This record gives sequence, C-alpha cells and structure tokens, in this order.
Amino acid sequence: MPTFPLTYAEKKRVIQFAIVLAVLLWIAIDAATGGAQNWSRVWLRLPILLTGQASGWPLEGGFSLNILLGLCAMALAAVLGTFLGFGMLSKRKFIRVPSFLVMNFLRNSPWLVLLFAMLYIIPFRVNVFGVSIAIPAFVKAVIGLALPTSANFAEIIRGAVQSIHSGQWEAARSLGYMPMAIYWRVILPQALRRMIPGWMNLYALLMIATSLATVTGIQDVITTLNTLLAMENERVIVYFYITALFLFFAYCYPIAVLARRLEQSVKGDTL
Amino acid sequence: MLTLDYSWLADPVYQHWLLRGTLTTLELAFASSGIAIVIGLFGALALTLRIAWLDAFVELFVEIFRNTPPLLQMLFFYFTLSTIGLSVTDPRTGLSMPLLSAFSCALISLSLFGGALCIEAFRSGLESLPRAVTEAARSLGYTRWERFRRIEMPIASRICLPALTNIMTNQFKTTSQASVITVPELMYYAGQIYNDTFRTAEVMILVLFIYVTLVSLLSWGMSLVERALAFPGYGKGH
Repeated sequence: MPTFPLTYAEKKRVIQFAIVLAVLLWIAIDAATGGAQNWSRVWLRLPILLTGQASGWPLEGGFSLNILLGLCAMALAAVLGTFLGFGMLSKRKFIRVPSFLVMNFLRNSPWLVLLFAMLYIIPFRVNVFGVSIAIPAFVKAVIGLALPTSANFAEIIRGAVQSIHSGQWEAARSLGYMPMAIYWRVILPQALRRMIPGWMNLYALLMIATSLATVTGIQDVITTLNTLLAMENERVIVYFYITALFLFFAYCYPIAVLARRLEQSVKGDTL
Repeated sequence: MLTLDYSWLADPVYQHWLLRGTLTTLELAFASSGIAIVIGLFGALALTLRIAWLDAFVELFVEIFRNTPPLLQMLFFYFTLSTIGLSVTDPRTGLSMPLLSAFSCALISLSLFGGALCIEAFRSGLESLPRAVTEAARSLGYTRWERFRRIEMPIASRICLPALTNIMTNQFKTTSQASVITVPELMYYAGQIYNDTFRTAEVMILVLFIYVTLVSLLSWGMSLVERALAFPGYGKGH
C-alpha cells in the first residue's frame, strides 16, 4: 500500500500511468469525433498486418514474418558470433587479427547497406552437385541481418569473458586446469551470466532492424503496410503508421525491460 | 565466381553522384548527431532536476524512440508531418506542398532517435558519478545549475564518451535508411547508379566500403578524443 507522501519513483509511475490514460482518452475522443472510421479501417486490416492473411491464418507474412526473420537471423548470428568471439580471444595472432578485422568491418557497416549488398552478391540460384537450388529472398534477408548481429554477438562474448577477473584465470591455472577446462568450468559459467542481458538487448535491436528487410521484397510488416496504404486515403495513413510503430514497441519494450532488470541483478557480482 | 566490372566508375557523372551522396550523408550524420547531443544534454538536465512529471515524460520519450524502428519513424515523419498540417500552398501551381523536405524529415527523425539514445547515455554517465563528488560540490555551495554545468556534466560527459561514440557511429549508419524516403544521400545515389548500369553487386560493394571507411575514420577519431579526455580510473584511461 503506498503511503503519503508518495516516493519519487511512485510519483513517477502515477504520472506515467496518467499519461497513458490521457493518450487513451485522446484516442477515444478522436474516435468519437470521426476517427472511429479510420480506426475501423485499421482494425479491418490488422490481421493482414500481423499475419499477411486477411483471415489471420496460416501465418504468411506481416509482423509474424518479422518475428520469424528475427529468430532465424539470431540463431545464425549466434553460431557465427561464437566463432568470431572466440577467434578474437584466441592467443594465436593469425586467428585473432583476422577475427578483429572481420568484426570491425561488420560492425562499422550500416545494416541496410549490408542487407542490400547481400541481396545482390548472393546469387539468385546456386548449383550444388548439378542440382540448381534457388535462394529465396528470405534466406538472403536472414544472412544480411545475421552478419552485423554476429559481430555484435562476438563483441558481447569478448567483453564478458574479458570482464572476468584475472584472478579467476590464475587460480584455475594454479589448480592445474587445462586451458579448455578453464574456459568450460571456470570462465564461461561466470561470463554467461553477463552475456545474457547483452544478447537480449541485441535481439531487441535485431527485431527492430528486421523492418529493413522490406528492401529484399519479402512480405514483412512494412511491405504489407505499404501495399495496404496504396488503397487508403491520406488521413488513415497516420493511424496505420501508429499501429505499426506500436507493434514493434509492444514486442521490443518488454524485452528491453527484462534485459535491464537482468543487467541490474548481474551488476553486483564482481569476481 | 563473381566477376566484378568497375568500368562505370570512370564516368564523371557517377563520380559526381557518389561525391554528392557522400557529402549529404556526412551532412545528415553530423547535423543529426549535433542536435541529438543537445537533446541529450537537455534530457539529462531534466532528469537531474528530479521533477517527477518531467522525468516521466523524458522516460516515455526515450522508450518510444528506442523501441521502434528508425526506418518506420522516418516514414512516419515523412508521410504524416504534411498530413497533420505542415504544408504550404504553392502560389504558382495552387497545389498543396509539404513544408518540410525529405531531408528535414530525415533530420528531425534521426535527431529525435539519436537524442533518445543520448539522454540514456548521459543519464548512465551521471549515475556513475561518485556520490562524494556531488556532495562535495553541494558543501562548497554550488547551486543546482552550477553543479550540473561545472561539476557533474564535465565529468559525466567524459565517462560516457565511449557510449557517445557508439551513438554517433550508429547515427552515421542509420542515415543510409533515409534513402527510403528519397533523401539524396549515398545509398540513394547507389540505387540511381545501379539502375543505370545494372552493376548491382559492384555498386553495393563500393558503397559498403565507403561507409565502412567513413565510419571507421569516425570511430578512430572519436577514440583519439576519448584518449585525450580519458579520466584516470575510469574505463580504458590509465
């Protein structure tokens, strides 16, 4: 039960709640004064925005495709990023230096440009043992998004491993652990706790970046949105954009909050 | 295997396009970064004042801009600012013209996006200040504003320089998305060139290298600044 006077954090929460209420009220007033028509247009098209289908099933595109794209790209980035991350931590110079170069190249290139480059560099179809396999745009989008993500993924691994106190290494070595065993049994279990919030933030960032996949021509939420908007008048466009923005916000904000909470809980343990 | 043909690069028209595109990109990146830092400073100031309603608004602003795609923000600003009423009637043709060009729409949306990130960076910088510093300033009789200007911000801005570097490079990379709303920057001209020459892979590889070089130069420059301003005992500075 909150006691009066309210604490600063409580006061802030009350005000934020009030702002959300005010926005809802504003939407209600707008709906009452003619906006309802526009909202009903959005409501009618919402299944298409979410699933790419007017009936809402099966999932063929729209926001669900963005989620699928994000998951696939994250899985690929995890594999690539792990190799890259451990490459950067390697003691051997001929592994470490190229890994750093690749990581820096991928991290310094814009996501959109990399996506475009992958779109045009990866051939339309490839021949594997005489069988020609067409590469769909979706696969290209996954690769294009996974590359910059893997560089960030690798940086998170490197940062977390290097943030482990050097005493841990020395202690493990003096106890006679083999180098691989030091990683597996001492360093990684501790580093993993610090990596997870970073990975979650990265996933949220990737999810936001999946909106760029519209340039590859796949039927993601923005492509769908643009197709739908071609049939709508100028006024309704605003409502559609707000809906699309809200979709991303509703998906990414909880992840960001959770990541921050985890980060806070990990922050305390140094050593 | 890929065979690359760069003979089109000899054409002065394409060279000119690439140059102009790069200049527009630089302009957009630096202008939006500058505005973003100013927004970040004001936001951080608003947060240190500890006024609950101001804090609530700033936090909402940050969360909305951080958790939605910048591409969608740009499209939103581009298509809705004129609908909301920011348009003028062209006296010659009598047609309604949007008041803001694509460039200014991109600038506004990028500045707000970067500003949200900057507020967050400055806030975490201010939070990492040792309490003793602010307490010492208070006991020396500094007013709230003087404390922010002379004690807290100079230290915090140096602590959060790495984060600021990240934001600036990110800002630079995000400018490529302005091509979607037809801002004539590097990415836009790249599209023009490969529409002309059909050399898509070659153009994209070249543009990728231009971006990587520029962003690498920027982060290298910022790392020099970081080193010069490094704060003993914090971060990498020793």
